[in-house]
Amino acid sequence: MKATTRILIVSVVIAIFGILSIYSSTSRKEGEFFQNLYRYQILRLVLGLCVFWFFSRFNYRRLWDWTYFIYSLVLLLLLLVFILGIVRMGAQRWLKIWWLTVQPTEIAKIMILLFLARYFSKKEPDDVEVKASKFGLIKALIIPFIFTAIPMFLIIEQPDLGSGAIIFFIFFTMLYLSKIRVRYIIIFVLVIVSLLPVSWHFLKPYQKARIQVFLNPNTDPLGAGYTVIQSKIAIGSAGILGKGWRSGTQSQLKFLPEAHTDFIFATFVEEWGCLGGIFLIVLYWLLVQVGIRTAQSTTDHYGQLLSMGIACMICIQSCINIAMTMGLMPVVGVPLPLMSYGGSSIITTFSALGIMANVSKTRNIF
Amino acid sequence: MRIRLLQILVALCYFILICQLINLAVFRSSYFRELADKNCIRFVPQQGGRGKILDANNKILVTNRLSYDVLILPQSLFQITQIFEKLSFILQISPEQLMEQFKRNYTEPSVPVCVAKNIGLDKAVQVEESKLNLEGVIVQTNVMRYYPYEKIAAHILGHLGQIDVWRLSKLASYGYKAKDIVGVGGIEERYDYYLRQQDGGISIEVDHQGRFSRLLSYFPPRNGKDIGLTIDLRIQRIVEEILDNYIGSIVIIEPNTGAVLAMASRPDFSPLSFLKSNSPKLLSELFNNPYAPLTNRAIQGQYPPGSVFKPLVATAALELNKINSATTFNCPGFLRIGRRDFKCWAVHNEVDLIKALAQSCDVFFYKLGLAIGPAKLHEFADKFGLGQLTGVELPYEAKGNIPHPLLRKMKTFQRWYDGDTANFAIGQGAVLVTPLQMVRAIAVFANGGQLVRPYLVRSIDQKDVSSSHQKIEQLPLKKKYLELVRRGLREVVANPQGTAHVLANLPVSVAGKTGTAEAPGGTHAWFVGFFPFEKPQFCAAVFLENGGHGAKSASLLKEIIERMIEEGIILP
Repeated sequence: MKATTRILIVSVVIAIFGILSIYSSTSRKEGEFFQNLYRYQILRLVLGLCVFWFFSRFNYRRLWDWTYFIYSLVLLLLLLVFILGIVRMGAQRWLKIWWLTVQPTEIAKIMILLFLARYFSKKEPDDVEVKASKFGLIKALIIPFIFTAIPMFLIIEQPDLGSGAIIFFIFFTMLYLSKIRVRYIIIFVLVIVSLLPVSWHFLKPYQKARIQVFLNPNTDPLGAGYTVIQSKIAIGSAGILGKGWRSGTQSQLKFLPEAHTDFIFATFVEEWGCLGGIFLIVLYWLLVQVGIRTAQSTTDHYGQLLSMGIACMICIQSCINIAMTMGLMPVVGVPLPLMSYGGSSIITTFSALGIMANVSKTRNIF
Repeated sequence: MRIRLLQILVALCYFILICQLINLAVFRSSYFRELADKNCIRFVPQQGGRGKILDANNKILVTNRLSYDVLILPQSLFQITQIFEKLSFILQISPEQLMEQFKRNYTEPSVPVCVAKNIGLDKAVQVEESKLNLEGVIVQTNVMRYYPYEKIAAHILGHLGQIDVWRLSKLASYGYKAKDIVGVGGIEERYDYYLRQQDGGISIEVDHQGRFSRLLSYFPPRNGKDIGLTIDLRIQRIVEEILDNYIGSIVIIEPNTGAVLAMASRPDFSPLSFLKSNSPKLLSELFNNPYAPLTNRAIQGQYPPGSVFKPLVATAALELNKINSATTFNCPGFLRIGRRDFKCWAVHNEVDLIKALAQSCDVFFYKLGLAIGPAKLHEFADKFGLGQLTGVELPYEAKGNIPHPLLRKMKTFQRWYDGDTANFAIGQGAVLVTPLQMVRAIAVFANGGQLVRPYLVRSIDQKDVSSSHQKIEQLPLKKKYLELVRRGLREVVANPQGTAHVLANLPVSVAGKTGTAEAPGGTHAWFVGFFPFEKPQFCAAVFLENGGHGAKSASLLKEIIERMIEEGIILP
């Protein structure tokens, strides 16, 4: 089977599961708005498939030239969020362009990928070796970090610690995958670890509470710990086969907050059971696996970094999200790619998958 | 190489997620399932009404009424003292008392705690109105026992209380649970099984805000079954009113069937004092009262019958051919038995049976007793139902005691003397009876030789059960002897020298026997009898503990009969 077909099948199955869960968790809410959410999501899936089709045909090498343009465009959007953004749930993350609500953070994740892939795969015209292997400390670490840190800082200030962390993770993965010297990676890790205690003071009170609650969920069962407790109850009460579609008490009766967005995994498992949950996790693994295989079989370093980066982005997001719903991580606002309700997330994920498909298709050119 | 490592890392991440998923959804599933159910399933109990208790004319003696309790949900309490202060202002109960109740009844943070029971409707409304300031305070409606006549027939009805350990150990297999409210004493206890309601309720699904989402199941509450008594409320009221201010008991039965028409005991209690939680002082007073108001003297009080025992002795002597209607004895005022003089209360000279009964001559009966012998006396007392349970449908009935030489020897290794026989013959010594046993024995003379079982319950759940509850036994007694004793009993009232002559001037003819039984603390006053003499409809026993002479009891009966005529219960 071709990689494109595999990506398509797996991602569409995940998205359909997502739509089913969105339908299930919102159908009993009051108000037309909530009851129609699944329709928007179907629309976005169709749109996402179009984007996927477009990017899978669009030669990814041409993105090389667009990188700085995309980078500055995203920076602009992120800055605009501060000025014109919509405030929802205490955070300013959304930008309304005419009737379209965009979350620039999602685009920023792809943008960082593109930027770093290009940066680390530069070659001299007269040398086949990748430049990165000869980088000094400044070029290998500090310059790419500055470029990453600017959008990351803007995102963390929104505040959206989760997405900031994901961008940081992407940066770290790209660093690891690039051909820079191992000692730089070790230096980077040491610096970050030594900075962690300091960063505690920069966290917002609710973020601190979330981490405290993660360490002991029962400290605040009706406040910050409530979501995790309810999510664990939803997952735990599902049993092996689940309660059946549209019969999950936790999500149907709204005990589980954010049942159609960040905690959609809990909604899904509650109704489809442990087996459904395992199936879903395996699907994500398959998707990531396709990305890794593509990276392994392509000889182009840029394509390799891109494909690997996209696979890791999906892996990091899905792992963080699922781990957080099961109480293995503090609660951060990270959507489950392809499942969670939200247009920006599903469309950017599909465009990333399109790029991945294109890499797998064009690997033999060089 | 780096990619290979990353691939393993990715697989490991997903593997950990799957492990945690299995851990939550499979191994700890039952725990979370329970939590999920607790989240969304609420049980709203609905109380059924306990069965009513009715009198002979279907007048309600006990029924149910709504009551209001104040409950506090501990988990939503932040400023407990403040809430208690506000509550105490409304309820007029001191905050300390509320706190004490709260601590006593506290079980779990999510279980509401009852702090005040049975507050009035007006206070309940006040609490509900200020609910915004009283966070976590719940007003619960309960079905509560209601006594329209408060104290009337309290001893027969019994009261309600929380099940105790002893009862629970016996009743657990019948579906009783700890903290159940059960009948204590009287009909409430004996027929608890029928009276008991079955509580139902609805289990509903609620959403995260506790709002109703859908109905899961409904189990309708079932009311208890009504019990109809043979008690006639009109007679009962008269009897209770007249017995007030005395210590003792009055029982009136229907002589032909054994239906108990009235049964009163004094001192009495109010069943309501067991329902109010804020009356522990009242309750301890009840329990510590030396006059034992909780005792139903009609069935639990065991007293020497004194002279009211004599008609039985007379019947025995006639049946055993020791005397006939013409036999006379001389009463010099005493009889020497062994080395002791047994006194009579007066000098009666020549007495025959009729005169002996009418004037209650002791010497006559000493002689009869000696002629009959204690074993035969015991046999006859036994025939008349003394010394055994009457079988009335009330719990904790006392048996009384009828002595026997053999029994005494077996129990105490003491000899039986003739003096004991003499005492036995006038209902003294070791003879102990309950007023109900006595009225049943005298009914034998009223209904022509039938020993009836007194019964109280005529219907259960509208179904007539009186035929299975009454038990009539024909005693092997000769009609002519019974008639003779009956005449003697009539003479007690009719003869101007009769001991109960006070009853003579009534429109109805009364027959009976007084008794003045020697007892520590003063003589007991007895009167047992039946009326109208020609066709007896009522059989009564009036007993006053340490009440003086038997004539006192007779005068009480006179008042009762007058009142009964007034109210048209007896047609003269």
